[in-house]
Amino acid sequence: MKKLIYGLAAIVATLGLSACGSNKDSGSNSDFSIKDRYTLNANKPAWKLDKKKKTTDITWYINSDWTALPFGKDVTTAQIKKDLNINVKFITGDDSKLNAMISGGDMPDIVTLMDKTSQAAEKANSWASSLNDLAKKYDPYFTKVANKDTMKWFSLSDGKTYGYPNYSNTKKDYESGTIPVNDNFVIREDVYDALGKPDFTTPEGFVKSLNAIKAKYPDLTPFGFTTVGDGAGPFTDKLQDFLGVPLEKKNGSFYDRNLDPEYVSWLKALNQAYRDKNIVDDSFTDDGATYDQKVKQGDYAVMLVAGTSGQGGNYTDFMKNSKTRYIAIDGPSSTSGRKATLSQTGISGWLINYITKDAKDPAKVMELFTYLIDKPGQILTKYGIEGVTYKYNDAGKIEYLPEVKALEKSDNDAYNKKYGISRFNYFNNDRMNALKAPEESALTQMQQWGKGKLYPHFVIENIKPQAGTPAARSYDQVQTKLNSTVISLIRAKDDNGFDSTLSSYRSFLKQNKWSDIEKTLTKNMKENRSKLN
Amino acid sequence: MNTLKRLYKQRQLQLMVLPGIIFMIIFNYIPIYGIITAFKRYTIVDSMSSAPWVGLENFKLIVQDSFFWESVRNTLAISLMKLFLGFAIPIFLAIMIFEVKNMRFKKIVQTISYIPHFFSWIVLGGMLISWLSTDGFFNQTLMALGLMHKGNNHLLDPSQYWWIAVLSDLWKEVGWGTILYLAGMSRIDPTLYEAARMDGATKMTQITRITIPLLAPIISLNLILNVSGLLGSNLDQTLVLMNSQNQSHAEVINSFVYRMGLTQGDFSYATAVGLGISIVSVILLVITDRITRKLNDGHSIIV
Repeated sequence: MKKLIYGLAAIVATLGLSACGSNKDSGSNSDFSIKDRYTLNANKPAWKLDKKKKTTDITWYINSDWTALPFGKDVTTAQIKKDLNINVKFITGDDSKLNAMISGGDMPDIVTLMDKTSQAAEKANSWASSLNDLAKKYDPYFTKVANKDTMKWFSLSDGKTYGYPNYSNTKKDYESGTIPVNDNFVIREDVYDALGKPDFTTPEGFVKSLNAIKAKYPDLTPFGFTTVGDGAGPFTDKLQDFLGVPLEKKNGSFYDRNLDPEYVSWLKALNQAYRDKNIVDDSFTDDGATYDQKVKQGDYAVMLVAGTSGQGGNYTDFMKNSKTRYIAIDGPSSTSGRKATLSQTGISGWLINYITKDAKDPAKVMELFTYLIDKPGQILTKYGIEGVTYKYNDAGKIEYLPEVKALEKSDNDAYNKKYGISRFNYFNNDRMNALKAPEESALTQMQQWGKGKLYPHFVIENIKPQAGTPAARSYDQVQTKLNSTVISLIRAKDDNGFDSTLSSYRSFLKQNKWSDIEKTLTKNMKENRSKLN
Repeated sequence: MNTLKRLYKQRQLQLMVLPGIIFMIIFNYIPIYGIITAFKRYTIVDSMSSAPWVGLENFKLIVQDSFFWESVRNTLAISLMKLFLGFAIPIFLAIMIFEVKNMRFKKIVQTISYIPHFFSWIVLGGMLISWLSTDGFFNQTLMALGLMHKGNNHLLDPSQYWWIAVLSDLWKEVGWGTILYLAGMSRIDPTLYEAARMDGATKMTQITRITIPLLAPIISLNLILNVSGLLGSNLDQTLVLMNSQNQSHAEVINSFVYRMGLTQGDFSYATAVGLGISIVSVILLVITDRITRKLNDGHSIIV
């Protein structure tokens, strides 16, 4: 009996251990061939050539706990399913699930990551196939449609590119004007007109105009801003962008934008506004729902907004509730004539898609990538199908059909389920915005205001030290300290408080060996620059 | 030999235990193997065998971190305050509820005191933020009572955070905490009270001489569990109520690990902190067990 128990325990133990440790040799798809399916053609996408009859099942892992979307049910994905003869099964999870899949050798076909600087992305060559090699082997047409700047930006140290992102905006996109600004300084139009278009562009003007608002509209909170949470809201990089704080020193090394003298003088102006009671404490603790409520009621006369596009609903509601609206005007600006350098999603994009070494049919998955990156695929995933969801108007621009628009307004769930417009967005891009007929909305004026004010921040994109290193930890602590410092500066009771908070931040930088971190940042900027030209 | 024979005789019964043991081995014992990540530099693309050994490096990093010690201080402060207040008050409340003779009223009191337990911190946190804001419910009440002249936002003041965390947690959990005691009291033999009444014992004497001594095992069990959980902290509550201004007093070990370990994908670091906390917690558990033995005539509650 004892033996039996020991035996059982041993079996259980080995079973458990082997389940953890089974590390089968990945990437051994040597017997895979496309010989009897199609011959390579550089001028035609492989999905049009492929004669594979059997439906291919593709598992697609997304490294975030989202609800997995159904595939093939709505108009958009049904078209993909039909064109490529595939079935996609989405699975979602977090880093530990991804780790279990990598270490267990049980990888899906496609992996979508959220962060270019994560260790999984930095070491993608250990578990993903390079897109350059796959294109050569299975679909040379890919190199024609993939954005060259984006491909170069995402190349790893071996010179090959493993992941392809969505919403990667290149310098050309910034210059073309198709991407709208997403940060604004807005004011209630009635207040603006009643006070004779007051000036907010200089620190003095800002403080004075807020006082003027309070005198005339005692019921309004003069100045508000999007939620702060445990960060610093729009008061660090966003405000710096409005002031045109340089991204780098003249010699190309890292510039600490948070200690820029003009920026600090603007923080003083904000502090003055706080002491004048034109900024209230509650604005620093309000959560999203409370903030939304305040905007819908028009409680704030003036606002600094990070992420305008997410506020559209609030502005529309306010417009409906009142006879006025929020408009974008020139807000905090440089006192030395620097131009605003507003930012948007950069070249690093948002979601990054990889084809793993374990992909069972890498040719098919590559076909899917090409299909989605190519213009017809882009239009399909963004707007749906011509005649079903949209039509081209007389000016040759895309316009949604009336019944589609009506369903979107009346029953958003049903609309998503039926059409799936812009839901399958893993390869989408703002470039396609240019195809759409312009529509008037609460945001139009604000986006119009920002024309020509965007400036690529690529050189300082993702330069923080590699995750998991001591430098990364120090960097993170400095960020935490910075956030609390900036808010404390705005809330300082007097000049002494302001100065001592600032000097304690400076000494915190010294304690955390910031100068060493700066060297790493400079090095990373140099690497960025080499991938940009 | 004798044992084996007895084991064989009970084989049907023993077999019934087996699934539970296997379950424990698979889900509780084999995962202990994962502790070795605390001594490795384990990244997301590694497996157990491929990650390099780094010895005690992760522990050194943690000990040198000033934010970590700040979070330990906050955790201990908040937990000890919760222990002193949150441990005694449910006992009082339970005795008070127990002494209520009107069944209807008793049920109403119980239901109302249980309700906050069922709300998540995400909901309660949002309510608290608005209650504690400048024009919030809390300030308005204080101003109406004349205790305050000008409202201020309490969550932005780090010196008040510990109290906010402790009292809001107490408010949420106090009713739920009475359940165990009420169950214990309902099992006390009513003849004891009858006899006491015959002998002319007052209500107070009955409570101090009958109710509390008979509740002692449950009280000490609860104390042991509470003390061993001293280093555990309420992550949900912290993440909702923390802002950049009160962070110096709000950051607890759990939120620190969450920030440093998980958002940075640093499994080794997070495991090392977790292992350290577990060891300290076990030590605390043993110490309290030794102390509470006295309460129970030398009998241990857990072993």
